[in-house]
Order: sequence, then structure tokens, then C-alpha cells
Amino acid sequence: MSFDHSSSQHVTSSLMRESLVDKNVIARTEASVSAILPDVNVIQIGGHSIMDRGRSALLPLLDEIVANQAEHRMIIGVGAGVRSRHIFSVGLDLGLPTGALAALSAKDSAQNAYMVSCLLAKHGFVYLEAPFVVQLLPAMLAAARGAVFNGIPPYSLWEHPPLVGKLPPHGSDAGSYLVGEVFGARSVILLKDVDGLYTADPKIDPAAEFIPEARAQELIDRKLRTLPIEPVVLDLLTRAKLAHSVQVINGLKPGNLTRALKGDSVGTLIKQ
Amino acid sequence: MKNEKHVQPAPGVELLSGSLTDAAIQQATGNSPDFAILPWVNVVKIGGQSIMDRGRSAVYPLVQEIVDNLSRHKMILGTGAGTRARHIYSLAIDLGLPTGVLTVLGTAVAWQNAQMLHYLLAQYGIPFIEPEGFSTLPHYLMERGAVVCQGMPPYKLWEPNPPVGRIPPQRTDTGCFLIAEVFGARKMIYVKDEDGLYTADPKKNPSSEYIPRISVEELLARDLEDLIVERAVLEFMARARNIREIQFVNGLKPGQLTAALNGETVGTIIYRNGDAQ
Repeated sequence: MSFDHSSSQHVTSSLMRESLVDKNVIARTEASVSAILPDVNVIQIGGHSIMDRGRSALLPLLDEIVANQAEHRMIIGVGAGVRSRHIFSVGLDLGLPTGALAALSAKDSAQNAYMVSCLLAKHGFVYLEAPFVVQLLPAMLAAARGAVFNGIPPYSLWEHPPLVGKLPPHGSDAGSYLVGEVFGARSVILLKDVDGLYTADPKIDPAAEFIPEARAQELIDRKLRTLPIEPVVLDLLTRAKLAHSVQVINGLKPGNLTRALKGDSVGTLIKQ
Repeated sequence: MKNEKHVQPAPGVELLSGSLTDAAIQQATGNSPDFAILPWVNVVKIGGQSIMDRGRSAVYPLVQEIVDNLSRHKMILGTGAGTRARHIYSLAIDLGLPTGVLTVLGTAVAWQNAQMLHYLLAQYGIPFIEPEGFSTLPHYLMERGAVVCQGMPPYKLWEPNPPVGRIPPQRTDTGCFLIAEVFGARKMIYVKDEDGLYTADPKKNPSSEYIPRISVEELLARDLEDLIVERAVLEFMARARNIREIQFVNGLKPGQLTAALNGETVGTIIYRNGDAQ
């Protein structure tokens, strides 16, 4: 056997010598995807909307999670909240770039996730950092009753520059959705302090109308001024392969999570 | 200690109380200043398929050129993936695995290439740095002039799906660009095996035309079938705050990387409209 050292050394594959930027090559990679953990539900606990309210909001919600444990496997993502808003304002004032803000903010959601994991520890939940989600989540779920993870994705310094302004576009809603998408989860449920999506912010505008169900693209086109979830989740939904919907529910109202896990229509269902 | 009154820096009050998805608040955050963290660093991406996969004949002269520049230019050297990534992408797609898993797999290939480049540069004291170790990077750059890292952004399972197909849309071109952007780098240089950008792949289409200089807006508008760089780089560049231009040089031609580091116009430059002349 001799080696040809004159040009690139290739391993035979359908993508060999191809440009992965070529649109035709990219189009050829369209094929069906299998779900890795199809029976798992991803539950996202909002930072500002739930965690920052403390015991009165969080403990009843965790009781409801535990009550559903026998019937539904759950992994819990947790958001950041007001401490991230504070460090954003300090960081912006110092001139720090988006990637630095993302790295800083991820520590706030890690703190919140760690607190949730402590509160759920006696029920067999474990806390998993991103590397352990990659390597150990299936094993942990086989051994433990559930897992808690940092909702903010591990983009850190590599966070995308946002379309407008300097705030990191991928927060814990996006991170939890992406976990649901990559594992092909049964459902992705985002727990907030509002009943779902409205045509305007219901805390400010009493004429705001409730939206029980909508398609992601439809919501993008409507250009709503504020959303109870990160707008990037809508973009991610339009490209879903496995997690074709997200349910946004009010985590302050007892029973909502249980109904959502059963598949009842509660809150707003955003579909692909 | 004096008990200082808490004064919230602008746009603090709105950020603490308002909705982060509010368009006006997002707009306001754009008015804050931009501090460049490492304004003297050059990010140099060494192509996977275009350079590393060629082995000694391509890599040794390039390593020598990097070494020759160590005393003059500080460099973050990121590596691409290449043919083994193409193999594992096609295998993983065939097995029905999702994009996030492909990213985990592809990252390992860029990591291998970074390790190999690191072995060749180790005798000059140049370390390999994982994303988690990036806070030590300024020290090594000051002391040794360069560091090696793998080019993939650390998105792992959290890589968003592409609009079409299954290949991770943010790969090593994008990871290196984002390093340059977040540090406010002096230059972003891509070392590949072509003189720069063409209207089509010059390896396949001999009638393709060379483009020495083009704005990112025009390049996106042309909507070419194939490009020298990942589309995500162009999309991010159009809204980046620090990086105003990126340069593509032929790493198979000795002296091109040095010329680019010295600020000469060599290869193709993609610039942002209204910023560069």
C-alpha cells in the first residue's frame, strides 16, 4: 500500500471531497431522524417568572413535578432571572461583548438549577452540567428519578451576535428547547408567570387577547412587541425535526403542569 | 468602608424591570460601548480538509510560517475538521442521528486536528486550550505568542438545526469567527487551499471567476450555490460589532499568511459595507 501525499487524504464517504457549504450537498443530507429519549418531557422553569419569586411560587411547582414523577419522566431546565439582568446592565456599561454576557449569565441559571436540584434531591433528581448531559443523561435517567440542568445552552463566548442590541439571544428557553429537540423528547413545556401568549403584554395592556395556539412562523410574521419566551425559540421551531411544538403555561397555577403533561390543551401551544 | 449608594448604570432600570424580549430595550442595549478584550490578537483558522488532511506537504511549511511570525503577531490558531468529519456526518445521518449529535462528533475531529497542530508547535511552548480554559489564553498569548484551539463552537448537543438538511450549520469557520468577534480581535484570517473566493467552486468549475474583495451584503445577496466559508459567518458578520472584515488566504502558497498578518491585501477580503473602504 502506498500513500498519496500529493493532495488531500480522503476517507471514503458520501460527503468525501464535497464542500459542506454547497447547497446541493446540504440538501442531500435531508433524511429522517430518530428520537434518542422519546419518553422524556423537558420542563423549563422560568428564572424571572418563577425562581425569583422564591418559595411561594417554586415549592408548589416542585410538589407538582414530584406528584407526576411516577407517570412521566422529566428533565428540568432552569432559567436565570434578575441576577442576569443585573450583570447584563453592569456588563453592558463596561462595554463587554455579547459572548462575555452569555458566559456570565449562564452562571445565574446554573445557581438556580443547582437550588432546584437540591430541593428535588430527596426525590432522586440529579444536577447535570452540560458535559454530563452530553455523556451521561441516558444513564442518569436509568439510575436516577429525574435530572435538573442549566437551561442556558453552553454557548458561552461563542454566543451568536444578536440581530438587535447586545443581549445574548439564546437563553434558557432556547437551551431547554434544544435539549428537547436533540433527544426527541415527548414534550417541551415552558413554565412562566403568564397564562401563555397574548397579542400584547397583559400586564400593561388590558385589551390584550389570549392566543391559545399558533404556528411559530405566524408569530414571527406578527412581530409581537414582547413575548413571554425568547423569540429565537420561534426560529428554532421552524427548523424542528423532532420537537415540533412548545407549550407555554402558567407555572403559578396549580394543576397546569399536570394537565400539560397529560396532553390537555392548557396555556399556548406553539407549533412548527 | 463607605456605604455607597447603588446607582444602576444605563440601561439598567429597564433591564431589571422590563421584558428582555421588548424591542425597545434590546435596541437600547445596542447603544452601550464596545470594549475590545484582546485588540492585538489575530485569529487564524487552519482548514481541515484544505490544509490538515494534506499532511506534511501542506502543514510543515505553514507551521514554519507560523513560527516565523511568533515574535511579531499574536495568534489564536483554530483548526477545521475535514474528511473524517465528512465520513462521520454521513454515517451519523444514515443512522438517523440528530444535528446536535453530529456536532458532538464533528467537534472530536476538529479536536484531533488541533492536537496534531499542537504537537508540531509544542516545542515553541504553544499550548492547546479547551473552550473551558479560555480564561488562561491571554497569559499564553503574552508569553508565547500563540495558542491552539479546536475551531468548533462548544455548542455540542445544543447546536440548532440548519434550515435544510442535517449538517451542523455552525462549524469551525463560525467558531473561529465568534472567537475573533468576542475578543475584538485585530484580524480574522482563514487559511484554506484556494486563493480566495470564486463565483463557483474552482476545483469543479474552471470557468469560475475570482473575487478579490466583496462586501458581506453583496455576497449574501448573490446567494451563491457554494461559498469558501460557512454561511453562518456571513450572517453573523453582517451584525457583528467588532469584526469588520475577514480575509481568506492560500495556505499552500508560502508567504500569504505572513502578508495577511502584516495587513497586506492578499487573497479575498470580505468586508462590511459602510465600514471599510
